Amino acid sequence: MATKKGTPRRGICLYSYHNLLGKTMTLEDAFLEMYDTGATCFEFLTSYIPGYPNPSPEWVDKYWGLCEKYNLQPSEMGHWAENHLHRGPAMTDDEVVEELKQDFRLAHLLGFKALRTKITCTNMMCDPEPGWQSYIEKALPYAEKYDVRMQNEVHLPTTLHTPHIRDEYLDFIHRTGTKHFGFNIDFGTFQNKMAKGMEFLPMSDFKDVSKPEEIVEFLPYSYVCHGKFTGVNENFEEETIPYKEIIDLMIENGWSGDILSEFEGPIRFLAEDGPDKFGQAMVEIPEQVRRHQIMLRNILGY
Amino acid sequence: MVEFQTIQQRGFHNTYDKDGNIDGFEFRFVPKYYKGYWFTQCRFGNVTVDGEVFDRDDIIFEYDGMEYSRQEMFDLNKYWQFREPLIYRIKKPGGLSIGYHDVSLQFGWVLNYNGDLEKEPDGSGMGNMAHMFGVDNQRRMLLCR
Repeated sequence: MATKKGTPRRGICLYSYHNLLGKTMTLEDAFLEMYDTGATCFEFLTSYIPGYPNPSPEWVDKYWGLCEKYNLQPSEMGHWAENHLHRGPAMTDDEVVEELKQDFRLAHLLGFKALRTKITCTNMMCDPEPGWQSYIEKALPYAEKYDVRMQNEVHLPTTLHTPHIRDEYLDFIHRTGTKHFGFNIDFGTFQNKMAKGMEFLPMSDFKDVSKPEEIVEFLPYSYVCHGKFTGVNENFEEETIPYKEIIDLMIENGWSGDILSEFEGPIRFLAEDGPDKFGQAMVEIPEQVRRHQIMLRNILGY
Repeated sequence: MVEFQTIQQRGFHNTYDKDGNIDGFEFRFVPKYYKGYWFTQCRFGNVTVDGEVFDRDDIIFEYDGMEYSRQEMFDLNKYWQFREPLIYRIKKPGGLSIGYHDVSLQFGWVLNYNGDLEKEPDGSGMGNMAHMFGVDNQRRMLLCR
């Protein structure tokens, strides 16, 4: 048991607003929304950087201006370790490493110390394509140089006891002794029942999910977690994920990383179906993120 | 800012040749997915307007001021920025009539997520993400010129 309690930060994934971004919400609108919630940090996806992978100096200045104006800190940059960008054979390790270096440099430029690194998976359980260790290990010195930590996301239906989590990722961390690879534990892995309105997208039968206490072993290797949610009610409760139990365990075990609200309710999949759905999304998405932030504040006490 | 629909009405009009004759039409497309793509990951299907099918290999795609064929996209080392429209330009002597048209297209992509990697190295498929997000896009649009 840690002697000092953890003090996680609460933040927001811009992904939560993606249906609205570039349609009814500018980047500055998103920063203002985040500021309103009291969140102090955020996640970008590489796609939300105009001009990716080479944003203009003017945009980089604008970005830092927004961070300063709205008092928000960069937390995590979501990126992809794509090794099948072309038809035919997979890319070589060196090609993938060059792609990763490019993102590391960009993360460093924009102040992100954590990355959600998506390694190629071959099925719904997110079993990694064999051979991933080779290019990730070659990229470690560059992750160290640019001071970023790659994190594999543990995402529903993957659980913390899915074999590849221990047999591949944890084994890799122990073998290399690296501090630059770890886990983004998406709270959806703890979801224990079907969320209302999500029946059309059966990602899991919820019979085998991560148990809150399983998180403790992984906390030393986790820097940023996705606070996944599909809906927070008017009493500021997420009814399908035991948030308080999980966060209390994180605090008791001295974890001081970032928990980032990541909204993935049914409207995320339906917003483009028609004017009524998009109108619903315009109201519901910001409101859900605000509710989630209040829920986190109620649990954390700040 | 773009419209919320994937097929954009803004930019839907007939096109003209150098002599001022209508030689086709064009519209813009913005995927609804939450991220951008490398063009090499994109899989473009046919366009259908009021039941008339326009083959994917006859479409001229314009991005960032440059024109490409579907085949050229497979080797195009360029990132399709999030929310940046791609122009679809289609040759059709006389163009489309003024009025409403049902426009549909198929668009898919390859991504390293949650599924078998693309099994068709010749690119004849629509990518490996169709099982989660589908490939069909359609919209009824009003053409004025």
